[in-house]
Amino acid sequence: MKAVSRLIRTLLPGQAVYAGALVTAAMLGTPAGAAEPPVLADRVGSGALPEMAARLPTEPLVVDLADENKEPGSYGGTLEMVMGRAKDSRQMVVYGYARLLGYDPATFELQPDLAAEVIVDANRSFTFVLREGHRWSDGAPFTAEDFRYFWEDVANNEELSPTGPPSSLLVNGEAPLVEILSSTRVRYSWTQPNPDFLPKLAGARPLYLYRPAHYLKRYHTRYADQDELKAHVEEAQARSWAQLHNRADNMYKFDNPTLPTLQPWRATTKPPSNRFVFERNPYYHKVDSTGRQLPYIDKVVFQIASSGLIPAKTGAGESSLQARYLSFDDYTFLRQGEERGGYETYLWRTAKGAHVALYPNLNIEDPEWRALMRDVRFRRALSLAVNRREINEVIYFGLALGGNNTILPDSPLYRAEYRDRWAAFNLEAANRLLDEIGLTERNDQGIRLLPDGRPAEIIVETAGESTEETDLLELLHDTWARAGIKLYTRPSERTVFRNRIFAGQTMMAVWFGLENGVPSANSSPSEFAPTAQTQYMWPRWGQYYQTKGKAGEAPDLPEATELLSLYDEWRGSQSVAGRTEIWHRMLKIWTDQVYTIGLVAGVLQPVVVDLELHNVPVQGVYNWDPGAHFGIYRPDTFFLGPARPRTSEEVLTAAVRDRR
Amino acid sequence: MIDYLARRLLIMVPTLVAISIITFIIIQLPPGDYLSTLIAEMESQGEAVDQAKIDALRSQYGLDKPYWQQYVVWAFGMLQGDFGYSFEYQLPVTDVVGDRVALTIVLNFTTIFFIYLVSFPIGIYSATHQYSVGDYSLTFIGFLGLATPNFLLALILLYFANVWFGTSIGGLMDPSYIDQPWTWGKILSVLEHLWVPVVVIGTAGTAAMIRRLRANLLDELQKQYVITARAKGLPPFRALMKYPLRMALNPFIADIGNMLPQVVSGSAVVAMVLSLPTTGPMLIGALQSQDMYLAGSFLMFLAILTVFGMLLSDLALAWLDPRIRLGGGTAR
Repeated sequence: MKAVSRLIRTLLPGQAVYAGALVTAAMLGTPAGAAEPPVLADRVGSGALPEMAARLPTEPLVVDLADENKEPGSYGGTLEMVMGRAKDSRQMVVYGYARLLGYDPATFELQPDLAAEVIVDANRSFTFVLREGHRWSDGAPFTAEDFRYFWEDVANNEELSPTGPPSSLLVNGEAPLVEILSSTRVRYSWTQPNPDFLPKLAGARPLYLYRPAHYLKRYHTRYADQDELKAHVEEAQARSWAQLHNRADNMYKFDNPTLPTLQPWRATTKPPSNRFVFERNPYYHKVDSTGRQLPYIDKVVFQIASSGLIPAKTGAGESSLQARYLSFDDYTFLRQGEERGGYETYLWRTAKGAHVALYPNLNIEDPEWRALMRDVRFRRALSLAVNRREINEVIYFGLALGGNNTILPDSPLYRAEYRDRWAAFNLEAANRLLDEIGLTERNDQGIRLLPDGRPAEIIVETAGESTEETDLLELLHDTWARAGIKLYTRPSERTVFRNRIFAGQTMMAVWFGLENGVPSANSSPSEFAPTAQTQYMWPRWGQYYQTKGKAGEAPDLPEATELLSLYDEWRGSQSVAGRTEIWHRMLKIWTDQVYTIGLVAGVLQPVVVDLELHNVPVQGVYNWDPGAHFGIYRPDTFFLGPARPRTSEEVLTAAVRDRR
Repeated sequence: MIDYLARRLLIMVPTLVAISIITFIIIQLPPGDYLSTLIAEMESQGEAVDQAKIDALRSQYGLDKPYWQQYVVWAFGMLQGDFGYSFEYQLPVTDVVGDRVALTIVLNFTTIFFIYLVSFPIGIYSATHQYSVGDYSLTFIGFLGLATPNFLLALILLYFANVWFGTSIGGLMDPSYIDQPWTWGKILSVLEHLWVPVVVIGTAGTAAMIRRLRANLLDELQKQYVITARAKGLPPFRALMKYPLRMALNPFIADIGNMLPQVVSGSAVVAMVLSLPTTGPMLIGALQSQDMYLAGSFLMFLAILTVFGMLLSDLALAWLDPRIRLGGGTAR
């Protein structure tokens, strides 16, 4: 029986339904109970746990493995992984990736997941239909009450959320209208379109619209018995009930083993610890096409080790699935250990717009430099004076992509000119542009002089977290010197680094490029317009937008204001064609203005997979959002079985040969 | 003696108060506080943080109060055995530290023991056979130990321990024993992992110890009482052990006070590299994220160790060497 998946029908203009597989467990034809996970069999037998059919929603999500090129799996086993900090317990929420909606890895379109259906009307009204009989990991029903509790008693409670509902729920300051239609129907609506809403729900760090109300009520002053609550607060050394509630309510941090969850695995270890164990959630809402309840793997273990040791531990075969804390320079070492460690090393593509990019600060305090940084000819000249080919060959064995900090060839919006314009190494043109600006005077070292006589020395600040950046800047130093610009590198510390940029003290920063380098027309182009303080080329303009004019400065370059108005236009646009057109207009300005100077992109991510671990794709995209790292490839379908034959070298290194 | 002890103990009180104030000031010195770490993290995860939220968080963490008030709360809490609350872990500091202190003590005492065990025979041999082939080659090895960067040696030993013996990389026990109750297997696993950090932390200390013992002993061996003892026909071994070696030991006893905190904090870098579940990496993490109560409690712990170590070494010195008198006034 073929499940009806990936169904997006357009009912009326502007109305879309995200509907999932509408197949019930009973319709699958496998006898219930036959497929009970062995690890739960004892508890089911003794009556401590209901049978599988009673644990699943009446309409579970049926995963069609064949459709995703995966094999049907078997229950059991422990997935070992290594993490760098105790805080990484939250990666389990990222990898688990149970969201109201999630991305499909093949198309990057949204599919319903926890929700059975999401009905969208003109991006203004969103109705979530829950699964009948869906349960939290402790067996309590997951219903609209959990949504109501979040909205009324958490988001709008003055003590729990002193600043009101999360700002990501506000559209130009307008709070949503939240309606509880029935025990399985919830509607969020705004008078203006909110195209960012669904992507936020599907994020690696998602926006949660629900809370396990039955559990949290014991910590809420409105519901709990006052004396008991007081005893709880004192016992936990909390300042108030609100602090206690917030401490228990860590759906994302995932550090409270008593907090019920909807993820495939639930936490069982209370921090602090050096080993976090996650066990299968017996009430998880998915089954495979033979009726077996997911996840296949019983247990996931995060071992905590210092991040520097993780490549070595992985190389010794101590991790069954690892990508976090591995980088491309570990690749040769990892390949060497494959035989002994019994694993394979895949190379996944990354989706950042640039692996390393320079951010000239258009909001710098110094007026002389500000004028220069705002001159597009200056930025173009700096970009032309970068030998990206040399950087690529020297540091990345020629396997990265040169070019601007912009979208990647994987994106449907990609055009070659976006990546190549002003990105070819051309010292002559760079020098000509700099001469044109009027920086013709030079000192005895050949460094150009600013109009006030100071030498043109650019201090590039780094967050001091990787030597890769400093190596790269060393190469850059030599070619910029030939254009008459002296480059100094100044490593600092992340907080200091950011604060100096925000204060306009930094001339130029080096950081990662765009977060989402593979957008489709429906992805938000907010990264291309001054909308956030953390956009290091225009922190004050971004702050102005974020604070609605209370702090920062209004953008005063016409191109930047145009990007901002195009972004607003995109938010209001309903049709894919209209959005595509806006995207291209924005990309054109972005490319032409060279607001950031991209150095390299598409650095490959090594992914180590144990030979006994099945269903991990050989080729994939490793990205935070959209992607949630392994999340969109659904680790709940991975399973441990007999060792696989090794993948042929040709398939393993296909991503590399694409580049060559 | 009791009089002396009481006086020393009394002096410790103002010393520790002064140290606690300095510790607190130093922790506050870097720009920002734990909130800036938290906000940076929230922002990097795409969460918008506005001023109102920052203020709310600040008052929730008690960071809106003036510094002196924060200090008083912390200091008085400590007197009652309450070391404050770790922001980062959202747990009382004592819970966070847990059995890390015990493992740290095991590691460091094993290391000290290793240093003594290796350096005493070598030091004595080098001094009694000065400028011999043995002296030169042992000195060479000692210098090699002193010059090799700790972390490099650590990585190399880890690699070979893994390849040859199949020991899991890093940590103080096999991952499967973490958070498990103590069993014979767990103890063996700890012993299997312990030797790498002990050798790594110990090499530099051993080399230094050999040199000092050799120099001290050489001074003593040339003194007249040694010559007299030899002339009177005392067996050479006894002539060495009875007085010169005891004299040569004085600087080491005097050093115990320094050695305790040095070993505890000095092993931090190695512990980071080897990812040992000791206090070092946790202290560094706490300082980086400005988790001030956790960091403060660690620093106070080190300070108390130093102060007590000093007292112990003074007492031991007086006991070992009758020429030393307690307190200047009573000497006459």
